[in-house]
Amino acid sequence: MSTTLTPTSIAPTVQVEGLTKRFGSFTAIDDVTFSVKPNKIYGLLGRNGAGKTTIMQLLTGQDFATDGDIRVFGEGPVENARVLQNICFIKESQRYPDDFQAKHVFRSAPWFFENWDAEFAERLIRDFRLPLNRRIKKLSRGQLSAVGVIVGLASRAPLTFFDEPYLGLDAVARQIFYDRLLEDYAEHPRTVILSTHLIDEVSNLLEHVIVIDQGRILMDEDAEAMRGAATTVVGQRRAVDAFVDGHEVLHREGIGGLASVTVAALSPSQRAEAAAAGLELSPVSLQQLIVRKTNVAATEFEQSA
Amino acid sequence: MIEEGKPIFVQIAEQIENDIIDGVYPTETQVPSTNEFAAFYRINPATAGKGVNLLVDDGILYKKRGIGMFVADGARERLITKRRDAFRDEYLRPLLAEAAKLGIDPQQLTEMISTEGVSA
Amino acid sequence: MTAIAPEAVNLRTTPASAQRIWRVVRLNLVNKGTTIWVPAMIMGFIWLVNYLIWWIIWAATPVAERPHAMDGTQWSGGGSYIFVYMLVVGIQVISMTFPFALGYSVTRRDFWLGSALTFVMLSAGYSIGFTVLSFIEQWTNGWGLGGHLFTSVYFGDGGFWERLFIVFVAMTFFFFIGATSGTLFMRWRVNGLLIAGALLALVIVGAVALITFTQSWPAIGDWFTRMGPTGVVAWLLLPTAIAALAGYFVLRRSTPKS
Repeated sequence: MSTTLTPTSIAPTVQVEGLTKRFGSFTAIDDVTFSVKPNKIYGLLGRNGAGKTTIMQLLTGQDFATDGDIRVFGEGPVENARVLQNICFIKESQRYPDDFQAKHVFRSAPWFFENWDAEFAERLIRDFRLPLNRRIKKLSRGQLSAVGVIVGLASRAPLTFFDEPYLGLDAVARQIFYDRLLEDYAEHPRTVILSTHLIDEVSNLLEHVIVIDQGRILMDEDAEAMRGAATTVVGQRRAVDAFVDGHEVLHREGIGGLASVTVAALSPSQRAEAAAAGLELSPVSLQQLIVRKTNVAATEFEQSA
Repeated sequence: MIEEGKPIFVQIAEQIENDIIDGVYPTETQVPSTNEFAAFYRINPATAGKGVNLLVDDGILYKKRGIGMFVADGARERLITKRRDAFRDEYLRPLLAEAAKLGIDPQQLTEMISTEGVSA
Repeated sequence: MTAIAPEAVNLRTTPASAQRIWRVVRLNLVNKGTTIWVPAMIMGFIWLVNYLIWWIIWAATPVAERPHAMDGTQWSGGGSYIFVYMLVVGIQVISMTFPFALGYSVTRRDFWLGSALTFVMLSAGYSIGFTVLSFIEQWTNGWGLGGHLFTSVYFGDGGFWERLFIVFVAMTFFFFIGATSGTLFMRWRVNGLLIAGALLALVIVGAVALITFTQSWPAIGDWFTRMGPTGVVAWLLLPTAIAALAGYFVLRRSTPKS
């Protein structure tokens, strides 16, 4: 039995099919299928409670699927040292042994992560101003998050998961995290899966986006494709309505005689048509797009229930 | 810097094009690496790479193995030609449409342009 | 600058099983404070308190009765602290170190084996220390005051290896009971512990009933005297092994709740 996994060159890092997870009568993950290509930064986006953490737990063998198939580096991850060896899972709610100090974490991490870069870790410790000799229990929320973030970055694991570990970080620290992540990812490519509900902040970092809502996949697309995927048309109500007739409407709002309607992407000729009709076109950010689509899904769900 | 709505890789490409036209990158000089663009704009390196590749496909940049991306011969001229062709659609047509809306006839328009051109 | 090669994935070679298990041992011992210094300090403190009490009793006893003043201390339970500590460490390894180790991508099998090895090592270390102290206690005639802390009757008065064996087995037993209880709690919460406790109680009551109805109590008494502390304690190895095995199977499908 070989001790190294040898993937074929374009094999996906993660392949999930029909994944389902039930907690008693509650279905947290419902028949989810997707794949993750190697050495890209993926965003796993969705509302709180949508199922992001659960999926990560299942992919890392920390929790067990009720149904479906998971392949990480070609094999099932549960209790599989060959696979787990290449994974680093940093989560927000990580618990540390009592009386552990930050320095114990950084002393022990290299034993488990062969690619650990001690210099990089030291630099990050300075960047985040982490007191090494303080007990984990006594660290502030931000410092606790920083510990997780530093381990995740310095581990250089081929597949790294960040489950909202930066929620405790202030805006300055978050920016440091994003910058260091990009920098290090450029020098040492690896597969990174980032889950967050702070979409706008990370949207430029992502190469591919998977949106989860209520345990189901809502969107699974290239980030650049999503950025051009919708436009907001603003103008006189009648003109706007005439224009958007026949287009897929994602959102509609207005005040007085003014209407603002979000539709799927427009071709250059359609854009010219809108301009000629005196309508204004404004861009739709990734976050806005996801929020709109999530709300649409919620409304459809309510209507079908 | 990075605006919403237009694909980021397109914006990167346009920024490099602007710099070439402005003379920041003369022919045969090296442009910053994909990773440098990514770090500066705080975007995914793959996206930056896509923008650079757009220009490679258009023959504006070329790759020197192991060194980096360089401005191709005649790139500036080609870009100016391309921009001139686009000028009509992007600037001229909207200008004429707006002028028509406001009742400015071509004669008055030409006068305005001459005056503007002198003081600019 | 090279663009990112999408196909190149540098996967690491998996270290051998023994290496992975040893990493867990190191992880359990990385914080020497809780595993070594704190129990040593507390044991030292208990000894000191006991010593002061003996001294007070000794000083208050008339000279003629002094040789027998401390006889009662041979039933002293002061040394039991260290065993309770083993129990607590066992529980904490599951409640605290396990979720942490999962974060380091350790498999449950490696974790259980590594922790079991750690328990055995710690038991060995502590029991050697304990036995040495018991001999010092003996040679100094109870620290000069006839007191018993490490030489209570429970530990017997056999030779070095006998005493070592008794203490070692007892410690290991408490470690595994603690760890297995920890796994039961993690997987099935309070209900798990209650049911396990109830089952255990049933088994014990059933055994007592059986012995009573077959009027075997005298036989049991004889057996205890014949076996001596060493023999009795050796039987603890059986429940220890059962706990170790059960704990693994409970852990295999457990996830720490967040």
